[in-house]
Amino acid sequence: MGEPAASGASCPGTFARAWAKAVSGTSYLPMTQAQLEELLQRLTHRLAAALRAEPFDPRVGHQVGAELVAAHIASAEGLGRTVEVIQLRLLRDLGLVGDDISDRLARLLATITTGYARALRDRTLDEQESIRRAAMVARAQAERALRDSESRFRHQATHDPLTDLPNRTLFTERLAAAINAPGRGADRVGVCFLDLDRFKVVNDSLGHQLGDALLVQMAQRLRRALGEHLVARLGGDEFVILVERTGGTDDVVKAAEAALAAVSEPALVDGHELSVTASVGIVERPVAGTTPGELMRAADSTLHWAKAAGGARWALFDPARHRTELARYALSAAIPAALDRGEFFLDYQPLTSLRDGTLLGVEALVRWRHPELGVLRPDSFIGLAEETGLIVRLGGWVLAEACREAESWGADGGPAPFVSVNLAVRQVNRPDLVQEVRGLLAQTGLPPQRLQLEITESTMMSAGAEDPVRALRALNDLGVRIAIDDFGTGYSNLAYLRDLPVTELKMAGEFVTGLRAPQVDPASRTDERILASLVSLAHALDLTVTAEGVETADQADLLRAIGCDAGQGWHFGRPAPAARILEQIR
Amino acid sequence: MQRPDWAPDDIDVERPSVARMYDYYLGGSHNFAADRVAARAMVEAVPDAPLMAQANRAFLRRVVQHLIDAGIRQFLDIGSGIPTVGNVHEIAQRAAPEARVVYVDVDPVAVAHSQEILAGNRNATVVREDLRRPEAILTHPEVTRLIDFSQPVAVMVVAVLHFIPHSDHPEQTLRTLRAALAPGSYLVLSQASDDTRGGAERVEAERVYRRTDNPLCIRSRAELTEFFDGFTLVDPGVVWVPQWRPETPESAEDAEQAVFLGGVGRLDG
Repeated sequence: MGEPAASGASCPGTFARAWAKAVSGTSYLPMTQAQLEELLQRLTHRLAAALRAEPFDPRVGHQVGAELVAAHIASAEGLGRTVEVIQLRLLRDLGLVGDDISDRLARLLATITTGYARALRDRTLDEQESIRRAAMVARAQAERALRDSESRFRHQATHDPLTDLPNRTLFTERLAAAINAPGRGADRVGVCFLDLDRFKVVNDSLGHQLGDALLVQMAQRLRRALGEHLVARLGGDEFVILVERTGGTDDVVKAAEAALAAVSEPALVDGHELSVTASVGIVERPVAGTTPGELMRAADSTLHWAKAAGGARWALFDPARHRTELARYALSAAIPAALDRGEFFLDYQPLTSLRDGTLLGVEALVRWRHPELGVLRPDSFIGLAEETGLIVRLGGWVLAEACREAESWGADGGPAPFVSVNLAVRQVNRPDLVQEVRGLLAQTGLPPQRLQLEITESTMMSAGAEDPVRALRALNDLGVRIAIDDFGTGYSNLAYLRDLPVTELKMAGEFVTGLRAPQVDPASRTDERILASLVSLAHALDLTVTAEGVETADQADLLRAIGCDAGQGWHFGRPAPAARILEQIR
Repeated sequence: MQRPDWAPDDIDVERPSVARMYDYYLGGSHNFAADRVAARAMVEAVPDAPLMAQANRAFLRRVVQHLIDAGIRQFLDIGSGIPTVGNVHEIAQRAAPEARVVYVDVDPVAVAHSQEILAGNRNATVVREDLRRPEAILTHPEVTRLIDFSQPVAVMVVAVLHFIPHSDHPEQTLRTLRAALAPGSYLVLSQASDDTRGGAERVEAERVYRRTDNPLCIRSRAELTEFFDGFTLVDPGVVWVPQWRPETPESAEDAEQAVFLGGVGRLDG
């Protein structure tokens, strides 16, 4: 243990050991028993010296008390036992004697307890302060962590991960704020929708990774070029720019031109030099009376105008054009319901023999009795139906209705012309076309020879049109007539006429229109010669020829002279309900 | 995106914290009224609770000294609590100033307090993590900054496992920690056990700790011994903590009264 051996009257080792035993267990002591005894031995020496010193120095007791606390002998029990062991054993174990020794011991104990209590109080206060500070720090740290994560969360929720540009959410928020709570001098606002031209080609040919790298580069350029304006990525290769506090269209056009210039500089991506262009749709208007949704939709459709015009340009929103497009869209959306309600009906236009003036056939023309817009002609809705694919259903209805009506013609001994129905590309490409026509013929009882299907040159020419050709051949084998519509306006490829199951050519009205003044107009002579050659060629291939758009008796005479088989046009009769046409013939 | 797993609400000084209750048992004043109320209730139910805490703390001191003597210079103390008297870094760095110590605790106040204590100590740090997420501990940048896992490390999980219920699979946690350790590393465990104490005290103690975030999970000697799977127990094995290499024969008397079982295992190469 290392303490000096106890010797006779003075035995500090014995005392220190007794003291150590008394205090151990009163609180946690971060030391070995030997270290504790060593410490108390040292203190015992100091106490002994204090008891002998003249004059009595109270500071020694204070210091011993404080040292006990500093050594973590710092509990009420520790103090109690210390007082007890000193009172009981110190004088005896150290062999101290003297007249005033018990007075001195009392004073020493008083100073020890005073020093001890002071130190313990200070230590308690310090520890309380430090734990409270730790709680405050912990709370501040937690709050900061929460704020950081909230702002990170917010950033992620409002930014595009690829380019780190603001995303649609943030853009919509800012646009809504600009519109709903415009600041002073911010009563107009502009939006540019930007879309890279043919970006899909980059992705498809060079890979998505490279496409992404290109998008990142474009995003950086746009951000730089547009300075204070908010640039967001909506997704894919679509970006949008918010131009606030505009004074007029020019401010937004300037932004659009800056964006187009930034995009069009050659881009070096992964060793490939890419030249990129973009299209921009621009909308600029007063914030009053508009909504973020309206503005975005307007910018989006304007972008499509720029695209449709060939790209690499900006287009400015035009309300009239937008209204027309909206109306067209509304019209096409109404087709299915109109079919269900039976708003479509057919008129027929005569196809008249040029040889003897008899009615050979009639062309079925669809009409839409629109509840608000009145009767609509096909040119106002067929194009839309073709774009949207509704043509399949609409065309199917026309075919069925034409077959149904035509079957009854001639039942009362009157004329029984064939009915000619237009087929759109999408209809011809359907795998069940033959089955559909065969079913209709069976259902209505219309003889196949009294049905003619009109298709355009481009339908026949469309790439990989192997299946449609087979379908047409099968129909032709049934006895159905096949006519090429608008012949002469497309490629007028003569080679296929020999191989295809075609019965008739319908010459486009343009040729006939030119036949107005044969004596003076050299161009008219040319049209006449072209027509004459086409007719003799068709006849050589065993095809009949019908001229469309015949408006005058002169034209009819000329066509008859050329050898044309039949004519269609106002000269022979305008489209009308079947009953009226058949009536007129009688 | 994950929300942070703690929020300011967590720092509720009105709710007793096991770390600060432990500090109270050890005679410290790093505690709040709620901690003292709970700790006093515990002392009322289990009058020896402070002695148990002291015995456990003394076990920690003897173990660290033993490991320093065995050449260990890296300590990972998980569930370190309030860094009151006789911390690992105090013991270790007094003997070997270059010894590196990383404290880990889940209690944010204990962590903040440790940060203050350790400010300026280049070889010691504290991270806020949960023993139940050993991967997060092992990969924490502050941990990897100070601890080189290619060298022996002492992983200390002292007076913590009785706060980890079976459902949290502490054996898996310890296995994960073991897998990260180099041969020659040590695992130090101690935890409250019920091999000797009466049922009434245990029920009371469990009732007290239900008010904290860490209910008690008492385990037997056999269960604690199983936690050393993969390690070779250092003599004298898993024992009542006063019996683990006592400094004097007397200090190991009535050892089972300490309630804590403890042991040290070595990972052989």
